[in-house]
Amino acid sequence: MEAPFERLVLPARVDSLEAFRGFVRTGAESAGVAAQALDWLDLVLEEILVNIARYAYEPGTGNAEVRYAVPEPGRLFVEISDEGHVFNPLATDPPALGGTLSERPIGGLGVFLVKNLVGSLSYRREQDRNTLSFTFPGPDMA
Amino acid sequence: MNIEPTELEKAIVLKVVGRMDAENADEFQKACDRWIAQGSRHLIADLDGLQYVSSMGLRAFLAVAQKLQSLSGGLILCGLHGLPRQVFEMTRLLSLFQVYDDVPKALATL
Repeated sequence: MEAPFERLVLPARVDSLEAFRGFVRTGAESAGVAAQALDWLDLVLEEILVNIARYAYEPGTGNAEVRYAVPEPGRLFVEISDEGHVFNPLATDPPALGGTLSERPIGGLGVFLVKNLVGSLSYRREQDRNTLSFTFPGPDMA
Repeated sequence: MNIEPTELEKAIVLKVVGRMDAENADEFQKACDRWIAQGSRHLIADLDGLQYVSSMGLRAFLAVAQKLQSLSGGLILCGLHGLPRQVFEMTRLLSLFQVYDDVPKALATL
């Protein structure tokens, strides 16, 4: 990625979500990401950052970093990092989507939604950091 | 997110307006739990004003629906559209819920 990154570091807490969302949304708007895609971008950020807030540093606390660049008009390249426990969310089993209402497990849908909404989703562990990177909007989004 | 309950003869209608996310999804679940604790078995969520729902919101809907089903009642969803409807479709939850266009149609089934 040649484009410069904008970055924001905040405590990895659910109440940091609004600031992270605002930060990336501003970038998305100036990059010309379609207005109707912005709520989907919020959803992607929420699903990833809530997992970090809940589990990355458990039982302690730490920071999350969100950075983005604009590789081409209408598209963002986003990286989200934490310095918590080694965890690759992309290695988790896909959720069971079949069955009846009573059989349906209650969790596991967040990562599944992210996978459907972004492009080039990848995970790496380097220098004691977990980093998820992706492009938005993904190829399956109108 | 704002939740406005209306007590009808056959069901409690909970009008949900705004965004249901990780910060407030449990408010919906707690509101439903209070009505269930008071003996309500049929809840109707009027979602015409719901603009956004994340997986934390889906968890809340699923938990309430499962609890009501185990009590021989049910959670009916009305007015789902836009992003929330697509999120329910994407996760294949839409077919597991009772979903109607609006509250009068839902009430007619009770």
